[in-house]
Amino acid sequence: MLRSEKKSLVRFLVIYMTSTMVLFSIASWIFYTSSKQNIIEKQQQSLKYEAKHLLSKIRHLHQSHAPKLYYPNSKEYKSAIYDLDKNYIFGSFDKVVEYDAMHTDDKILVYKDKVEPYYLGSAYMLLAQKLNQQAITQLQQQIFWMMLTAGVFFTILGYFLGRLFVAPMRESIEMMNKFIQDTTHELNTPISTILTNIEMIETFHPEINHTDEFKRMEIASKTLSRIYDDLSYLKLNHRYHREIISLDMVEFLKQRVIYFESIAKAKEVNIELIIKDSVIWHIDKNDAIRLIDNLLSNAIKYNHIKGIVTIILYKEKLVIQDNGIGIKKSDLKYIQQRFQRANSSEGGFGIGLDIVNQVVAYYHFKLTIESQPNQGTTITIGWNI
Amino acid sequence: MRYLTILILININIFAFDDLQQNCIHCHQVQKIPSDMIYRKYLLKYSTKQNISKAMYNYIKSPSPQTSIMPKPFFSKFPVKPLLNIEDSELKELIELYIDRYDVKRKLILSQED
Repeated sequence: MLRSEKKSLVRFLVIYMTSTMVLFSIASWIFYTSSKQNIIEKQQQSLKYEAKHLLSKIRHLHQSHAPKLYYPNSKEYKSAIYDLDKNYIFGSFDKVVEYDAMHTDDKILVYKDKVEPYYLGSAYMLLAQKLNQQAITQLQQQIFWMMLTAGVFFTILGYFLGRLFVAPMRESIEMMNKFIQDTTHELNTPISTILTNIEMIETFHPEINHTDEFKRMEIASKTLSRIYDDLSYLKLNHRYHREIISLDMVEFLKQRVIYFESIAKAKEVNIELIIKDSVIWHIDKNDAIRLIDNLLSNAIKYNHIKGIVTIILYKEKLVIQDNGIGIKKSDLKYIQQRFQRANSSEGGFGIGLDIVNQVVAYYHFKLTIESQPNQGTTITIGWNI
Repeated sequence: MRYLTILILININIFAFDDLQQNCIHCHQVQKIPSDMIYRKYLLKYSTKQNISKAMYNYIKSPSPQTSIMPKPFFSKFPVKPLLNIEDSELKELIELYIDRYDVKRKLILSQED
């Protein structure tokens, strides 16, 4: 799966799942509260029925003149009777009578009923029953499984919907990649031929080396070669064998500056290399070339005529700054993506910073871009020492 | 000393019950009107000790079918009791004893759980 496709799919799934689950949670909550209320109401009705039953027994006791009056005692509930002043008369528990007609909390149901006439002197009757949590627990389990099943179902559904949703994007990216692949394949032979012939001319015809026409040809071929290398790099997309070497950055940067000298001269841009510290990078040389070349190429390409590009090498960072056209703040977060270019006045595919980003991510470097329009751009690559 | 106090209390109680027997229960027994039943009637109507005590006091101080707890037809069979010639404080004490004697709380027992 492509990186951008994966990103879009994840975004779609997050939005889809969040909205679905929020709706589902609200519906489940409403269902849960109403079902719980039903369960409690059922238990309340049952307690009311028991109250009537108890009242009938108390009436019988009132009419009895037996020496002992046996007050009903049930396993299901506790009860007590109180006089008109709410003083306790008798019962299987002695809770205070200060309750509403029906009181319910998380653990207990209490039902208070008025008694009239006052059998055994009782004006109030209080019944208390433990709330049957089993039915509520079952309901909670039922909702949990329902939510889980719905979650799995909607995730699978969302995944397939997401794939359908990103399919057009995938097709266009695949088309673009295929185009790059075909182009690089077709460019391979002519570029190799041009570069080999330029080298041959430099060796066998030194008198032509200094002519403007030859220099322009050299610059054009170098640019072409770099574009070809970038496209090949993207085409392989990390899937090539990296040969990690200890790269002396001082020497390496000097080489790259020489390589870009002719291109910079054509635009009258001056490249300054300032070495503050000697640094060794453990890196694949091709990765290092792609990283530095893209940054230098951009610094020259998006610079003014007679501009300055400064490269400063510190122990823990490399800074490449130019005083060129700069990048708008709103464009800064997009320019590291493939095919994104902040300025279309210069040629290019918009793949440079994507490659830079890939190299930086692979070696766990830290890339910082600071830019002010018409003042210039400063790119910093930091690493752990 | 402790035994002496208990003995005095028992004697006081016995004397008090003697008064209750002589002034109240004796007549009820003669006329075969169960005191327990009368007390239940008061309990059914007035619920609290204070209310019962007040209602009994009113009846004894001015006995009539209107102040009695018994239904009107009762007085076609039984006469209205004569006015008792005793002090208020003594009467209130006797009413207290009467209520205590027939108090249902004394009889109520919690049955086995079913």
